[in-house]
Amino acid sequence: MNFELSDEQKLLQDSVARFVQDNYDLEKRTKLVATKQGFSDDHWKTMAELGWLSLPFAEAQGGFGGNQIDTMVVMEQLGKGLVLEPFFASVVLGAAVLKRAADDAQLSTLAPGVIDGSSQLTLAYAEEQARFDLHDVVTTARRDGDGFVLNGQKSMVANAATATHLIVSARTSGGQIDEQGISLFLVEAGADGLSVDSFPTVDGLRASEVRLENVRVGADALIGELDRGFPVLNAAANDAILALAAEAVGCMEVLYKDTVAYTQEREQFDHPLSDFQVLQHRMVEMFMEYEQCRSLLYRATLEAAQGDTAEAQRAVHALKHMVGKTGIFIGENAVQLHGGMGMTEELRIGHYFKRLLVIDAQFGNADYHLQKFAA
Amino acid sequence: MDIELSAEDLAFRDEVRGFFRDNAYKPGADYNQWRLDWFAKAREKGGWDVPKWPTEFGGPGWTPTQHYIWEQETAVANLPWDLPFGIGMLAPVLMAYGNAEQQERFLPDIRARKVNWCQGYSEPGAGSDLASLKTKAVLSDDGSHYTVNGTKIWTTMAHIADWIFCLTRTDDSGKKQEGITFLLFPMKQEGIEVKPIITLGGAHSVNTVFITDVKVPVENRIGEEGKGWTYAKGLLQHERTGLAGISRSIIALEKLKEQARTVKRGNATLLDDPGFRAKVAELEVDLMAAEYTELRSLASASAGAAPGPESSILKLKGTEIQQRIQKLTVEAGGIYSAAWGGKPVGPSFARGGMAGYLASRAYTIYGGASEVQKDVIAKNVLGIKSSK
Repeated sequence: MNFELSDEQKLLQDSVARFVQDNYDLEKRTKLVATKQGFSDDHWKTMAELGWLSLPFAEAQGGFGGNQIDTMVVMEQLGKGLVLEPFFASVVLGAAVLKRAADDAQLSTLAPGVIDGSSQLTLAYAEEQARFDLHDVVTTARRDGDGFVLNGQKSMVANAATATHLIVSARTSGGQIDEQGISLFLVEAGADGLSVDSFPTVDGLRASEVRLENVRVGADALIGELDRGFPVLNAAANDAILALAAEAVGCMEVLYKDTVAYTQEREQFDHPLSDFQVLQHRMVEMFMEYEQCRSLLYRATLEAAQGDTAEAQRAVHALKHMVGKTGIFIGENAVQLHGGMGMTEELRIGHYFKRLLVIDAQFGNADYHLQKFAA
Repeated sequence: MDIELSAEDLAFRDEVRGFFRDNAYKPGADYNQWRLDWFAKAREKGGWDVPKWPTEFGGPGWTPTQHYIWEQETAVANLPWDLPFGIGMLAPVLMAYGNAEQQERFLPDIRARKVNWCQGYSEPGAGSDLASLKTKAVLSDDGSHYTVNGTKIWTTMAHIADWIFCLTRTDDSGKKQEGITFLLFPMKQEGIEVKPIITLGGAHSVNTVFITDVKVPVENRIGEEGKGWTYAKGLLQHERTGLAGISRSIIALEKLKEQARTVKRGNATLLDDPGFRAKVAELEVDLMAAEYTELRSLASASAGAAPGPESSILKLKGTEIQQRIQKLTVEAGGIYSAAWGGKPVGPSFARGGMAGYLASRAYTIYGGASEVQKDVIAKNVLGIKSSK
C-alpha cells in the first residue's frame, strides 16, 4: 500500500507548481482571459519545453510514457492556478484518443507536433440533442470514394479556435443512439466546409460551436476501426473525467484553505468570523468533502491506470458524481463565508467556483453519473 | 380556518389584472414615458403607485389579502422597473421619524420616481455586523452642518443615484449601536466618488462609495443625533420581509418545468428524468408550504397581531428556494450553461441561467447573512440565551 508519488512524479508536480506560482496570480490570469485567444503562447511554449505536452505519449514517439496518474499530478496543480492553456484539450482529450486508436502512421505524423506544441488537438464529441450521452450522435460520415464526407454540428468544443486538428465523432452506421456505428475522424483546422464559431465560457476558458458541411477527409483520417469508435470515445471521456476531477480537487483545496484563512482575518461582532461555531463546522464539512474527493480521485485513477475495466468505469462514474456535487458545495460555501467580498471578481474565490461549476457540466453532471453508477 | 377569496377579493384581483393588461408596455413605445405614465395612472387608482404606504401618505389602505393578491399578480405581470430604496426603504423612515418639512421635501419626488435613492449602510469593516460602522460625521461648532468622511460598500445603484440615505457615526464613546446618525445628502457633489464593483455574474449594480469632507446641513438629519440605529433597524425589517419572493418563485418554478420539457433526454425530456424530476418536486413541496407560511404571516398581520414566529423564517426559506431554482436552471442548461458571450448556443434559456445563478448566491448574504438571521431567530424567537 503506497499513496506516495514516485520521485519522477514529485519532480513533475514541483515543476507545474512552480510554473503556476510564477505565472498565475489572479491579476495575470485576468489579463490573459481578456485577450482574444484567452491564453499565452509563451506559456504554451514553456509547457512544451518542460516536457508536459509529451506526457501521455509512449517513449517510442518521443513521449514521457505517462499514464492517468501522471496526468492527475499535472492537472491538480493546473487546477490550483486555474491555468488557461489548452493542456486538457490537446494532451488529455486528443492524446487519449490517439494513444488508444491511432495507427503508427497517424501517431508519427501527429505526436511530434503535439509534443513540441506546434499542433493542438481537441475532441468534438458533444451534440445538442445528446445532452451528456456520448453515443447519441447524428453527425454523419458518408463513404465517398476512398474517403469520407462529414456533415453535422458539434457543440462546446474545448479550444477549437486554436486547435490544428479536431477529432470528430460521427455516425457511419446504425441509429442515432447506437453505440455501434460511431467512428472517429481527424479533421484539420481550415478544412473546406468546416466552420468554427468560438466564444468564452463563464470560467474564462474558450469553447466553440463547430459546423461540418460536406467536409471531405481521406481514408487516413479514420482513427481506429470503422463503426467501433465508441469504446475509444468512452475511454477518452473517462480519462477526461479523471483529469477534470484532479483539476477540481486542486480548485477545492484553494477554496477551503482561502476560506479558513479569511474567516480568521475578518472580524464581525468583535470576533474573527472563525470564532463562530456554525462557520467552523461548515469549514470542517468543506474539508471533509474535499478529502473524500481526493480519496475517490486516487481510487478511480489507480483503477483506470490498470486498464479500461468495468470496475474502473464504475469508479469514474462515482468520482464525477462526487466531484460535481462537492465542487458546488465547497464553491457556494466559500462564497457565503466570504460574504459580499466572495461575490466579487476581485477575489479569486469566485473564479475557482465558476471553474467548478463548469467542470460539473463537462462530460456529464453529478446527476447523470449517479444514474450511470446506479444502473 | 378559511382560505377562500371573498367576492370582493376576486373583484379586486380582476381589477388589478385589468389594470396591468390595459397599461401594458407596447413594443416600440418610449419606455421612460410609459414608465412615468404607468405610475401616474396607478396613482389615479387611489395609491396603487405606493401600495405599501399608509393611507395618510396616499397609500391605498389595502387589506393583507389585497396585498397578497397584488404580489401574486405583479409576479406574472411586466411592470415598469422601480428601485426599492426610496419607495420601500427611506419613505417608511421619513414617515415615522422625519419632520413635516422633511416629509414635504422628499416624499413627493420619491413617489413620482423623480429622484433615485441609494442606501449607505454597509462598510468594508461592517457587513452583517452593521452597527460597527465607522463613517464619521462631525457637527460644526455653529451646529449648522455635519462633515462626513468614510467609505460605504455594496451600495446598490449608487452610480445612478441622486441622493443617499446614510448611516454615520457621531459618537464612539458608548455602545456601538449608540452614536449612529441618519443623514441624507446628494450624490452628485464634490467629495463623493463612486467605484463600480463587478460581481460574479459580470454585472455592475453594486459600488464602493468614498465620502470625503462632504458637508451635510443639519436639516438633512432624520430624527435625533445618535438614534439612527433605531430608525435603521425598522428599515431592515422592511428590507428583509420583501426578500422572500414566494410568488415569484412559484412562477419561476413553472418556467423551469417548461424549460426542462424542451431539453431532450433520450426519447423523453429532462423533466421525465427521475433525478431532475425529484428535485423539482421537492421544490414544489417546499413552495406549497412556504406559500402558506406567507399566508399565515399575512393573516396574523391582518388580525392586527405582531408578526408571528412564522414570519421570521420567510426570508431564509424564500431565498434558499430562489437559489435552488436558479441552480436547477443551470443544471437544465447542461454544458450550454457554461457559454458566456458570443452567439447564444444550446437551449434558449441556457444563456441567462448561469448569470442568474451566480447573482443568486448573494441572496443569502445581503440584508443580513443567513447565519446572522438564524442567530436572531434563535435569540428572539426561540428565546435561547447565548453567553457569546
